[in-house]
Amino acid sequence: MPDDQTFLMGKFPAVLPGGLLYARNHMWCRECENGRARFGFTSYAVRLMQDVYFLDWQVSPGDRVELLQQIGHIETSKAVSDLFAPLAGTLIAFNPELLKDPSGINVDGYGEGWLFDMECDGASLWTVDEYEQFLSDNWEKTQRLIKGKINTED
Amino acid sequence: MSRQRLTVVLSQAQGKNPGRRALEESIAAALIMEPGLDVSIVPYLYDLDAEHTGRLFLESVQGDMVVLAWMFPRAAFWLLDRDGIKGHYGDNQIAPPTEADEDEDGEPEPPKGIGAVNVAKRWIYCLDLRDHGNYDIYIQEVRRIAAECRERRAAGNGQTTMVELGLPAPQPQPSFASDQLLKQPERRWYPVIDYSRCTNCMECLDFCLFGVYGVDNLDRLIVENQDSCKRGCPACSRVCPEQAIMFPDYKTPAIAGAPVGNISGLKIDLSKLFGGGDAMAMAAQERDRELVADGRQAVGMSVGIPKRQADKTQEPKDDLDKLMDALDELEI
Repeated sequence: MPDDQTFLMGKFPAVLPGGLLYARNHMWCRECENGRARFGFTSYAVRLMQDVYFLDWQVSPGDRVELLQQIGHIETSKAVSDLFAPLAGTLIAFNPELLKDPSGINVDGYGEGWLFDMECDGASLWTVDEYEQFLSDNWEKTQRLIKGKINTED
Repeated sequence: MSRQRLTVVLSQAQGKNPGRRALEESIAAALIMEPGLDVSIVPYLYDLDAEHTGRLFLESVQGDMVVLAWMFPRAAFWLLDRDGIKGHYGDNQIAPPTEADEDEDGEPEPPKGIGAVNVAKRWIYCLDLRDHGNYDIYIQEVRRIAAECRERRAAGNGQTTMVELGLPAPQPQPSFASDQLLKQPERRWYPVIDYSRCTNCMECLDFCLFGVYGVDNLDRLIVENQDSCKRGCPACSRVCPEQAIMFPDYKTPAIAGAPVGNISGLKIDLSKLFGGGDAMAMAAQERDRELVADGRQAVGMSVGIPKRQADKTQEPKDDLDKLMDALDELEI
């Protein structure tokens, strides 16, 4: 199993566990048996969003979703975002606890704060090193995007 | 005379949310006692069709008006404009408690859009009921607006030749039965155009394959067949290069008509980071879903996708300032 990685967002260290796989929309994936996998937000994503206030899903358990199909919406103290499927597959379950209180995402993002389970093929997901590389490669761009300067080039 | 009075219209929330209803009732109860105000309640503004009594009532209102609704003020204002209830945009001081005055020069950047036509010489103030849970804030703001309108009229009357002699002439007041006024309309879904931003580029007209858009006899873009629009689909709004198309009920604030350049209380939109990716691709995907649901062929990116936007940023411009602020707070 690869070592854990830490990606520095300015001063904030985003911890990336080595035993997980990662999707480019900043979700982690823990593979379970029989083709099922559990997904949640990486600490990188949680740091950008900060305290989660509201989480809403637009698809139901059992629904088939396409890669990057919009599946939900999140509102936090700093951000809003639509949420998208990290892979094509079938949604099995959403974390019921988060629907009562989404702050579990902040408390234990890699554990109790998981988002949903899917039946999917995780072959295209990244290892922690690949994800860390992706974050490094895009950090400048992300900051620019956040600063609203992305339209200067790109 | 009724022109001297301020009309206050409360537009109810959809559904039966008790918290929302309670706020509406508290506001109405308090305002009804205020001198110089005419208070009316209508259902959710967005759902009113042309025959609805609430709409006929709104059309009959002369003079300045305050509309309190569960949507962004910009959406409410242009929704009324679309319904022929026109006036000048009255700024309210409710939404951004700390940012009441724009820090630049008090005026937002000069509008790029083609503007509204046949604007009546009166002011329409739209307040967003989602801003505060405390009714008193709205009461105070309505009082402030009432005073502002009185001052404006007083200033205006100095210049005009309008003379009032003796008793005011009796106004033919159309009467509206309150059960008719409050008859709950069907839910609707259609785009609302902000003509202060729309440049008449017609990209929405090219993009939408459901015939929602058309042009009027001045060749101005209009929402021609609003009920042909596909419920839940905001695709044309993503295509619009000026973010002039609003869907007041959509969850993403930039699409629902969040204020422009007014930053406090608004949030950074991370959809692009979290997989939203290319707004054009998203719009095409949303359109395809509706096409297929209609039994038609998906067209993907092959129809109505403006070329010149190929390398344009997808982040709505409204968000730029917010993003900057959010970044500072993030300390990254």
